[in-house]
Amino acid sequence: MIIQSIFFYIFSFIAIVSAIMVTVSRNTVHSVFFLILDFVSISCLFIMGGAEFLGMIMLIVYVGAVAVLFLFVVMMLNVAQQENEWFQSKKNSATSSSHIPIGFLISAIIFFELVIVIGGWKLKPEIETFNNISLNLGITNTHSIGAVLYTDYIHLFQISGMILLVSMIGAIVLTYRKRSGLKRQSYIKQISRERAGGIELIDVEKNKGVNIDV
Amino acid sequence: MINLELVFSEIFLSLSIMALLLIGVYKKNSTNMIYNLSVVSLLIMLILNLNLFNSKDVTLFGNGYKIDFMSSFMKFLITISGIFVMLSSSKYLKVTKIFKIEYPILLLSSILGMLIMISSNDLIVFYMGLELQSLALYVLASFDRNNKLSSESGLKYFVLSALSSGLLLYGCSLIYGFAGSTNFDEISANIDQVQYGLTLGIVFILVGLAFKISAVPFHMWAPDVYEGSPTSVTIFFAILPKIAALTVLIRFLYVPFINLIEQWQVIIIFLSIASMIFGAVAAIGQKNLKRLMAYSSISHMGFALAGLSVGSNEGIQSSITYVSIYLFMNLAFFSCLFMLRKEEKYFENIDDLSGLSKNHPMLSLSLLIVLFSLAGIPPLAGFFAKFYIFLAVIEKEMYFLAIIGLLSTVVAAFYYLRIIKTIYFDDAKHKYDLNHNLGLKLSLTFSTIIILIYFIYPSYLLEIVSKITIL
Repeated sequence: MIIQSIFFYIFSFIAIVSAIMVTVSRNTVHSVFFLILDFVSISCLFIMGGAEFLGMIMLIVYVGAVAVLFLFVVMMLNVAQQENEWFQSKKNSATSSSHIPIGFLISAIIFFELVIVIGGWKLKPEIETFNNISLNLGITNTHSIGAVLYTDYIHLFQISGMILLVSMIGAIVLTYRKRSGLKRQSYIKQISRERAGGIELIDVEKNKGVNIDV
Repeated sequence: MINLELVFSEIFLSLSIMALLLIGVYKKNSTNMIYNLSVVSLLIMLILNLNLFNSKDVTLFGNGYKIDFMSSFMKFLITISGIFVMLSSSKYLKVTKIFKIEYPILLLSSILGMLIMISSNDLIVFYMGLELQSLALYVLASFDRNNKLSSESGLKYFVLSALSSGLLLYGCSLIYGFAGSTNFDEISANIDQVQYGLTLGIVFILVGLAFKISAVPFHMWAPDVYEGSPTSVTIFFAILPKIAALTVLIRFLYVPFINLIEQWQVIIIFLSIASMIFGAVAAIGQKNLKRLMAYSSISHMGFALAGLSVGSNEGIQSSITYVSIYLFMNLAFFSCLFMLRKEEKYFENIDDLSGLSKNHPMLSLSLLIVLFSLAGIPPLAGFFAKFYIFLAVIEKEMYFLAIIGLLSTVVAAFYYLRIIKTIYFDDAKHKYDLNHNLGLKLSLTFSTIIILIYFIYPSYLLEIVSKITIL
């Protein structure tokens, strides 16, 4: 019981502090790092509470996709770069980036959090105490969500598939542009090419050179 | 498993969407084939749907999906208007260079979303159908992406529609919280007294639905989107989503919340009066025909809502009759618009119609019939549509609504008649091309003849519609 509350307070403390740091931090890249840390801490809280499906989805969707996408956007848009230069001119360190130590710190915390929470979930599953909802504890909640999703709500599941298909088609229709003059690799052309068609022997006259772009 | 044949049309449509997409991806230059095949698949769906007309009322998928006479009839209307929209617009797509394989596929997916909306008996199913329908519509509105107006209209529609979807979802969550279920039947069983949370939920959902049928004061998107998007999409916007949203509105108001009629009747009456007046007055100054049709459709939706506000079976039936006739009037009008083509360019201003009767007597005649019908002049179909609405409204002694409706009809007649004056009494300006494809001619002839000869046997439609009883 005491171990559980210690871990609960650790994770919630990290979550709150990193949430504050997201808004306070002046460097956008650092903000995104803290956002990732925040997501991971919250998913650890979910896993501790016995909602392992929600926690894993949080890890996959928010950390794996959304936050990394944010990171890409921030780095591509060069917002962080200007801020960074401003910081560096004060510190007079032109070469070393200040992203790396913060990045290392946050990834180390994330690693330890994951080790603690998943290790605890695997070794001592009875540590969770939120049992006042009548659940069939014999099966994991991934199983029970699946059991409902693929039977009672199968038509909604299928319709969401159609919605995703339509949004994919729409995104392609609106953004895909055929560019002319694009050279594509053709394996068949490359393989079927013969020595006779590719190599030519030329007698080079003295002091004249060869014109190669025929 | 036993009832699977009741959803054959939806299953068939989704399978054909995927099959057509695969054919389009793997076969080069197959746009024409895909376009024709999607018309064929809609025809097959029409036949599958005809079988349902005699089936009993059934709910499927854990009571979330309802098959009854209303859903079958509305699906029939959706499919038939989908077929005519596709038939009439193929030439337009080719001329404006937006004839791509994705176009018919997006149309079909939007129609699939509408079918799901029409049959929905559950808030979640309804929302999923709505999203499927509107996602395809966002893309269709901005399909001509090299045209600034088209991109603008797509963006505008997307942002405003996302906002209204958010409000609608908030309303759904309130209703779920206060009634304890998302299923329409269970909600109606769980409501025993008026709760303010429920009323708030109804208001939010009505806002979302009023946005979809562009009723005043949630109409702001309609003129810009109608004008900006390609005409082939405008005709789709003007007809199909309105039929679907009106069906959902009927089911939503009359199945779970009929006991709360005092709560929502005032809102519907307000929406109806505001739409009728605004649609009639704001259209007067318009010069673009597509924009004018946007205001005209706002006004027509006001009439359909007037039938809904009555709270009786007659009211519902008059509304459904109204949209069935409205469908053919819009189809005929936009088919005429597709015929205004000269040297690979389409014309869409009222000035371009001037003196049309000198060069194109038949086209002018059908425009005359359509515009008279839109204005509600007897003995054309549009008159009967308005007549049934007034009948249902007056039967419940809502004279105020009837008087406002009549006055707005008079105002609206002005701008329809002005177009007719331009056609018949102004100097000839353009001489348009005459080589139209068969589908366009077919849809114009068919819809004009229906408008013209409706008065000979009006009880045919009435008999079918009178089988729709919700209460």
